Amino acid sequence: MASGLKHVGARIERREDGRLLTGGGRFVDDLRIAGTLEVAFRRSDHAHARILDIDVSAARSCSGVVAVYTADDIEGDVRPIIAQSRMRNYHPTALQILAKEKVRFAGEAIAAVVAESRYLAEDAAARIEIEYEPLESLVDPLRSMAGDAPRLHENTPSNVVVERTFARGEVEQAFHNPPVAVRERFRFRRKAPAALENRTYLADYRGAEGFLTLYTSTQVPGIIRDALVDCLDIPGNRLRVVAPDVGGGFGGKTSLYIEEVLVSVLSRKLERPVKWTSDRLEDLTATSHGFDEIVDAQLALDDEGNFLGLRADVIGDVGAYSLFPFTAGIEPVQVASFLPGPYKIDTYQGRVRCVATSKTALGPYRGVGRPVSTFVMERLVDMAAKRLGLDPKALRLQNLVQPEDFPYKVASGIVWDRSGFTEGLASACDAIGYDALRSQQEQARREGRLIGIGMATYAELTGIGSRLSASPGMPFNTGTETAHICLDSTGGITAKFGVTSFGQGLETVLSQVVADELGVAIDDVTIVQGDTAAVAHSTGSYASRGAVMGTGAAMLACAALKERLLRVAGLMLNAPAEDVTFAQAAFSAPHSGREISLGELARTYYSRQGAIATDVKNELGELSASRMYDPEWGTTSSGTHIALVEVDPETCRVKVLKYLLAGDCGQLINPRIVEGQNHGGVAQGIGAALLEEVVFDEQGQNLTASFMDYVLPSAVEVPRMEQVHLDLKKPNTLGGVRGMGEGGTIGAPAAIANAVADALAPHGCEVTELPITPERIFRLLEGARHQN
Amino acid sequence: MKPAPFDYCAPESLDEALSRLGNSPGAKLLAGGQSLIPMLNFRLLSTDLLIDLTKISELRGIQPHGRSVRIGALTTHQDVETSPLIRERFPLIGEAMRHVAHLAIRNRGTVGGSLVHADPSAEWPLLAVLLNARLQVAGLGGQRLIEAQEFLVGALTSSLSDDEILVRIDFPALPRHTAWAFDEVALRAGDFALCAAAVTLSTGGSFLTGGPRITDARIALAGVADTAIRAPAAERMIRGQRYLTLELVDQAAVCARDAISPNADLHASADYRRHLCHVLVKRLLGEAARSSAAFAPSSAPVVEGK
Repeated sequence: MASGLKHVGARIERREDGRLLTGGGRFVDDLRIAGTLEVAFRRSDHAHARILDIDVSAARSCSGVVAVYTADDIEGDVRPIIAQSRMRNYHPTALQILAKEKVRFAGEAIAAVVAESRYLAEDAAARIEIEYEPLESLVDPLRSMAGDAPRLHENTPSNVVVERTFARGEVEQAFHNPPVAVRERFRFRRKAPAALENRTYLADYRGAEGFLTLYTSTQVPGIIRDALVDCLDIPGNRLRVVAPDVGGGFGGKTSLYIEEVLVSVLSRKLERPVKWTSDRLEDLTATSHGFDEIVDAQLALDDEGNFLGLRADVIGDVGAYSLFPFTAGIEPVQVASFLPGPYKIDTYQGRVRCVATSKTALGPYRGVGRPVSTFVMERLVDMAAKRLGLDPKALRLQNLVQPEDFPYKVASGIVWDRSGFTEGLASACDAIGYDALRSQQEQARREGRLIGIGMATYAELTGIGSRLSASPGMPFNTGTETAHICLDSTGGITAKFGVTSFGQGLETVLSQVVADELGVAIDDVTIVQGDTAAVAHSTGSYASRGAVMGTGAAMLACAALKERLLRVAGLMLNAPAEDVTFAQAAFSAPHSGREISLGELARTYYSRQGAIATDVKNELGELSASRMYDPEWGTTSSGTHIALVEVDPETCRVKVLKYLLAGDCGQLINPRIVEGQNHGGVAQGIGAALLEEVVFDEQGQNLTASFMDYVLPSAVEVPRMEQVHLDLKKPNTLGGVRGMGEGGTIGAPAAIANAVADALAPHGCEVTELPITPERIFRLLEGARHQN
Repeated sequence: MKPAPFDYCAPESLDEALSRLGNSPGAKLLAGGQSLIPMLNFRLLSTDLLIDLTKISELRGIQPHGRSVRIGALTTHQDVETSPLIRERFPLIGEAMRHVAHLAIRNRGTVGGSLVHADPSAEWPLLAVLLNARLQVAGLGGQRLIEAQEFLVGALTSSLSDDEILVRIDFPALPRHTAWAFDEVALRAGDFALCAAAVTLSTGGSFLTGGPRITDARIALAGVADTAIRAPAAERMIRGQRYLTLELVDQAAVCARDAISPNADLHASADYRRHLCHVLVKRLLGEAARSSAAFAPSSAPVVEGK
């Protein structure tokens, strides 16, 4: 059991991979409960329409059908679900479990069929007749903002459901005849998180006990539990939410979805287990989308290239509903609040409007806001460098927050603690051989090849504590996480956590920390996650908080447990607790002449009657400790990505030739996992930059509702990448850990966009829209050809 | 995403399959299932009876026939890709197979299934029209042979009757001295082509006949019309030439481009597809010409008797 090795910082293989890679994972759809019924939905064919009539009679008489429900049938079974925020000018919209009078996006659930199998449920759902009165589809957010546009929700003053402005300094002055200014309208097109595992929910209500268990593919079981307690009126001690193995989330599984509320309602109504497994069509049309903004931005500089001011107007297309709990504001508001990024910009004005449209709701997606803000800011920096005839690297180094400037308060209010902004840029350039790449590029250009070098520097706030909220104005605590660590009567160690794992390797990371704190091997630690029965309060994993909060809580709980163990060991060794040493899973004391192993201590304490005095045992109780960790503010992760791309001037295809990133994520708990997280994030970022786009037609129909048309990058399109880990002063979080799971997606779109723009520079083209697909490059080149 | 109910049978002979098909109007034939099953699952199609052909071994295999090659309709893309006979006689087909989706799909998808599905962007229809393939189809009344261009009627439409089964595809031998080239542009490796093209250049003749000439030139395109098509006017510009110059290659490519009127879809406009057609035909003619030596590297005019 004892382990002299230190696990934190080691390149340890992921504990969960054995089961996940050999088909041994247990996802919600793998769970079998006898008597389970399956749900299929009849979803709206229209993007915006009044429902005139629903006829479910034919469906009810189909073979294998147990029940068919519409909104009227569950009226009174569930309280309204409204995502609240303290933001001014936020107009909440209630979720509809099943659409009642109106549908607001194509794919919204109208009726639910419960049957003995999914096949039979779908057969019956196809026979439901719905009569609609079509209303104007609100597809273009600019149209939806117009005064004469029909309102999507009757209870909001207009379709602008969030409006907010961040401002500092004299913006008008900065933009009054600045020596240099660059301005552009940028467009970042909508994405789908597209986790490998589609959302799946299985509710099991036991009428005799009045106890509901919901198995759900969520990132946030605690949030779901607390919300269901409120909306279903079941006490929290009779409502357990379990997220077993979860196959990816990327933010798409951080919201409370109507389907998980509905299976819970129906299981309680029918007193049978009820399951819904999303198919890919439903996933692409009814799971939250990400990143959909129009950003008008301008940057003013002096003749030496110093940034004088930044101004932006962000319009976010937030879709039909404000999702619980992160609200319709989460993505676009963060575009505006993070836009100044890692740069020293004293003067900034960022206005954001979130516009409801008749589309799938926008929600958090890996990077939230920052992939878009970084794309816009980094494009502006490159455009300014070109205008001034400066190297983009030099212009960045000159304007980044310098080491002596930390802590630095961004104009929008975010505070950066010490992080390697300039060091990251310098290391990335050194490692890729930036100057040599530039001369290779010169040579290639002479040969008529379109080679481009793009870089992106970004900063993100991770491990946010209780002084901030994870989404603007969200009125509940996302600033703490819990660890409960127990030594059982056999000497086994079980560590229970609120932070959940959905593929990112948290099980390994948490056991590394616990193993080191207790001096045991990682295999001696069993990690329990994703179960609201494990800890009293938790919200889950999102916003790059899992490692920071989970390991912090683990360290506190281990320290408390150790204190207790030392007292027990002192009694057994006849030594004062303060003299006892605990190393390599064994206790010893000077002059005691012997060692007690952790297992021996546990067996003696729990099982040998009389070994420990009764009064001591009554006082100490179980050999366990539970602690909550609150990092209070949070900590800054940063990085620089550099991409080398080649554009085929004839086919207009982009090939990523080289990719490198340098990041400061504080203490690396497991470099292998850090690199895997970056790799996956960059792959998604490359998808966002080159391929992925959710497209709606003029009627609001989603044209990219399968993987034929929603184009994700495959292994062939994702290059090998090099990674540099900065080793700088550690942040003040326990363990010196920063969150790093989102950086890949934040840096990559901007780096690729800058690289493609740089490749196309000889033709005088600018990249203002992502994804920059072959079709868009074709049009840019055609446009340039016609101008010359 | 579950199919509507259907019955299923898996006959073990062609005759049995034909009789099931004849007795069941509305039946669908299942080969590799790589297109049919998703369409059933999306409920874009439904059927009373699914006739699974995969147990009929007589429909599978690659056989020489004189100098031509016969490919059974149930032969998988992967069987073709790895066939020594194909590698020897039609290396072009082998090369094209590498562009058919991904290995997992090539292991199941079949030559016949792809041709009957008649996706205008797929590789098999392109190869069939390029190589003047003939498709052997069987009905209860007997068998008939259909030229590839007649077989491919439109987007996702072939001239196969409801009661017929595609049995075999015959690829007639190419002239002895034939150079070829194939390429396609897709968003990702393995995607349906935005535009695909293939060319062959056959040379013949000797000093007795006035020196070698391009005796046969074929250009086939996919992704730019309702079916895979040839570019006959461009072919005529090349046929009979002694050499190809860069100008001529470009003119032929322009000619091929100007003859098409592609559809636009989510991923490529008609203009971009026209552009790709020009780029690919130009590249492929150059590539094939270089490998057949029927190419004058400069843009100098054609010179007699080089």
